[in-house]
Amino acid sequence: MGNVLILAEHRQGAVRDITFEMLAAASGVARDLGGEVVVLLPGSGLDDLAAQIAAYGVKVLVVDDPLLANFNAEKYQLVLGAAIDAYKPSLVMVGHTAQGVDLAPALAVEKDLPFVADVIGLAVEGGVLKATRQLYSGKVNAQVAFKPAETCLVTVREAAFEALEPPGGGAVEKIECPLKEDIAYRQFVEYIEAEVGDVDITQSEILVAVGRGLREEKNMPLVEELAAVIKADLCGSRAAVDAGWLPHDRQVGTSGKTVKPKLYLAVGISGAFQHVAGMKGAKAVVAINKDPDAPIFNVAHYAIVDDLLKVVPKLTEKLKELKG
Amino acid sequence: MRGMMMSENQTFTEKFDLLGCIQCGRCTGGCPVTARSNLNIRRFVYDAYHEEALEELARLAEIWDCTACHTCAVRCPKGLKPLEVLIGLRTMVIESGKTQPTVRDALESVFREGNPWEKARATRCDWMEGLEVKIAQPDTAVENLFFVCCTIAYDPRVQVIAKNLVRLLNAAGVDYGFIDDGESCCGSEVYTLGEDGLFEMIVEDNTEFLNEFQAARIVTLSPHCFTTYNRHYPDLNKPVIHYTQLLAELLDQGRLTWEGGLEKKIVFHDPCYLGKQGGIYDEPRRVLQEIKGAKLLEFGRARERSLCCEGGGGKMWVETESKKERLAETRIKDAKALGAEIVAVACPFCLLTLEDAVKSLGFEEEMRVAEIMELLGELGGGN
Amino acid sequence: MKTFVCIKYVPDTSEAVVKINAGGTAVDSSRFSFDINDADNYAVEEAVLIKEKCGGTVTVLSIGPKESEVMIRMALAKGCDDAIRIEDERIALYDPLMVAKTLAGAIKGQEFDLVLTGCMASDDGQMATGVALAEYLGVPHAAMVKKVEMLDGKVKVQRELEGGLMEVLELELPAVLTIQTGINEPRYAPIRGIRAAQKKELKLVNLDDLGLAASEVDSSASKIVLEKLYIPEVASTAEVIEGSDADEKAEKLASILVKGGLV
Repeated sequence: MGNVLILAEHRQGAVRDITFEMLAAASGVARDLGGEVVVLLPGSGLDDLAAQIAAYGVKVLVVDDPLLANFNAEKYQLVLGAAIDAYKPSLVMVGHTAQGVDLAPALAVEKDLPFVADVIGLAVEGGVLKATRQLYSGKVNAQVAFKPAETCLVTVREAAFEALEPPGGGAVEKIECPLKEDIAYRQFVEYIEAEVGDVDITQSEILVAVGRGLREEKNMPLVEELAAVIKADLCGSRAAVDAGWLPHDRQVGTSGKTVKPKLYLAVGISGAFQHVAGMKGAKAVVAINKDPDAPIFNVAHYAIVDDLLKVVPKLTEKLKELKG
Repeated sequence: MRGMMMSENQTFTEKFDLLGCIQCGRCTGGCPVTARSNLNIRRFVYDAYHEEALEELARLAEIWDCTACHTCAVRCPKGLKPLEVLIGLRTMVIESGKTQPTVRDALESVFREGNPWEKARATRCDWMEGLEVKIAQPDTAVENLFFVCCTIAYDPRVQVIAKNLVRLLNAAGVDYGFIDDGESCCGSEVYTLGEDGLFEMIVEDNTEFLNEFQAARIVTLSPHCFTTYNRHYPDLNKPVIHYTQLLAELLDQGRLTWEGGLEKKIVFHDPCYLGKQGGIYDEPRRVLQEIKGAKLLEFGRARERSLCCEGGGGKMWVETESKKERLAETRIKDAKALGAEIVAVACPFCLLTLEDAVKSLGFEEEMRVAEIMELLGELGGGN
Repeated sequence: MKTFVCIKYVPDTSEAVVKINAGGTAVDSSRFSFDINDADNYAVEEAVLIKEKCGGTVTVLSIGPKESEVMIRMALAKGCDDAIRIEDERIALYDPLMVAKTLAGAIKGQEFDLVLTGCMASDDGQMATGVALAEYLGVPHAAMVKKVEMLDGKVKVQRELEGGLMEVLELELPAVLTIQTGINEPRYAPIRGIRAAQKKELKLVNLDDLGLAASEVDSSASKIVLEKLYIPEVASTAEVIEGSDADEKAEKLASILVKGGLV
């Protein structure tokens, strides 16, 4: 009782960051619930991954079976369901990721668990587990309480919690795979790597956008380098496209594309209404412009009022350093 | 083919009077867009005669390059409106549903919220905040019923037109009323984008809505609304004028004076929808002449020969894929050659496109683009 | 091929100031514009594309107010065949599992091959309804689908994972797919089409019509309690990054971006 069970997430032989972030999120909750943190690691050929996770000072339950070689929501649901039955954790954490959202809601229905998705905060108040999540793209926070239940389920937002340094000293325990034969109704076929080259900016997670403030085409390498460091795609205002700095399909605005990245870094863009209409769905907007009255600052979350030719190279350098 | 057959039982040829064309080529000769695009309007009028070719014509990108400036219609010796052939082809695309996403979003926004800018109807009058604006009530008679325009209502850059006008009207003691957030798009761009069905609906709804008001006349802030109401709303029960006409009237009555002046060389750019299409050339000039210290210049291409800024015809939602100079830039270069310090306009679209051109040419130090109401607001005093 | 497509009428809050109502558990939506949820719009298009290719019918299913019928009519104009609108104030709409159970109640007992939903609603962003719906219906599912290919008795899909990696799967039919934006280019519903679609059936039902007891999907059935909504403490205006020179500002911004998990 009181334990927190984390479903470890890994893909193509690597543990994904969300796993370590959930470990950070879980420790306080487990303490408040009077239990400990346990990690469930399903997959195939997991020795290295298990050791890596155990280094965080937790018990790792390894379900190592060729049937679990690639993520399959239906199979993982069976494995996680069996672990819940066996270990009766008070809280189960799954990443709010492409894997987690494909799995957790179905598990909640199957096991009749109180479920909150995409949580950014967890607390135990007066013995009641409460979660914080966001609505309207982060404009509103919601506090949700779980009704009393043996086990509750959450999916945890990526990057909402900061992973800690591993203290070492965990343990690995192999458990039996509840799945005895393959399932026909959902079959993994293959992974297809993203095609490099043809960029669809409407799907980009991070965009560096350039505008007239860049002044000349010879300054493009400055933003190209910045984009490369943060794995962003480049886009721009009508002026930047007109000037031939970017192809037409990179134009953002009422006569271009509508984008909704997690981060929109507007460099030298004044922010005309017709441009803003195309990027208002961005989760976070950073604007760098030397004009303090530029309307882009009205929609920005972070603003630098200065010469972009000075700011951008330094920003690139510092980001390179911080991202190692 | 579906599109153009649905509204009336006319063929494309009949609807646009294609047989009336003598292929003289004056339309193409005058078409400003040919400077940037492959659009050959005469050719379209010729080819559209072959009904079986229509589907293919509708797929050509050039049909979206037309800015609906009406130069072709003004110049046609047979009184045809060649541009409407292009609009007819656009209608075919619209009715097939396979239109550009930008056009789709703008049209859906007009349908749902009464404006093409994807803004909530409830925020349409937010620009009035902090101003004393008289709101018209259908059961109270008012002389001038103001129609603001979606772009002026929502785009912070051009809201100044409406704000300064309100201040001027209050100062001059004009009997007026603005419409509340029940005001809906006039359909100018809906019409030129070819969304026939939506335009019909808008005309019906707006006619009913506007006819309810007991006003002597409607005054529009944008030339696009002005021309659209005058040309496409046969059942409207009151005349529609542009605000520059009202200002000229107030000047004649001695009801407008300003304290300050503006020692600048100003050139007026005739908006297509006010000049070529509305026949209003003198009133805006009359207002500008009244500014103390201002020296009024004239473009070589002025009045009915005015060069289009490429802001109309739905071009706010469709780009012409051309590496060639924008017409707005050509216009601004002309203004610079004249030595103009201010390019005055009387249209929100002209303001946006020409101002953009000043920035991209890097002429911000030497000149600026300003809407007439913007200039008047800077004079100070206001009576 | 019989397809259901589930759509939601959502407010556009991207530029709006959001205020919490006095009760503390709802927002004041009087100044919002509403439209079909973005991802659901792609789901409608995909359903119509599948119908155009494989034949069959598409039924639109939505829980929402009378005003949402505009959105439903638009979907019908695009090629869907009929629609069911569920309106019942007893449903605990804050809980995606209760929403999914209600939708399942409307589908159960009918033959179907596919159910499509958007993968996420732009208002509450749970990404849960479609996958939960699959479980209630007892059929396989795939979330965040970016490509659909109908096979004999099966559907081959590509799921979009982080970093643009695609996971290719085959599911046996019937199945539920939650559709990711960008899978297609939604068509425009011309007004003449919307008018013509007035003839198509749009059925209004409540929980009783669906044979669902309120106690199965109301706030007593929900295992969570929405205690309160509040505006998070982030400056609504831009945080201007100050510094003695451009270098200092750039350095500060870099650490904000990294620490905030933005890059």
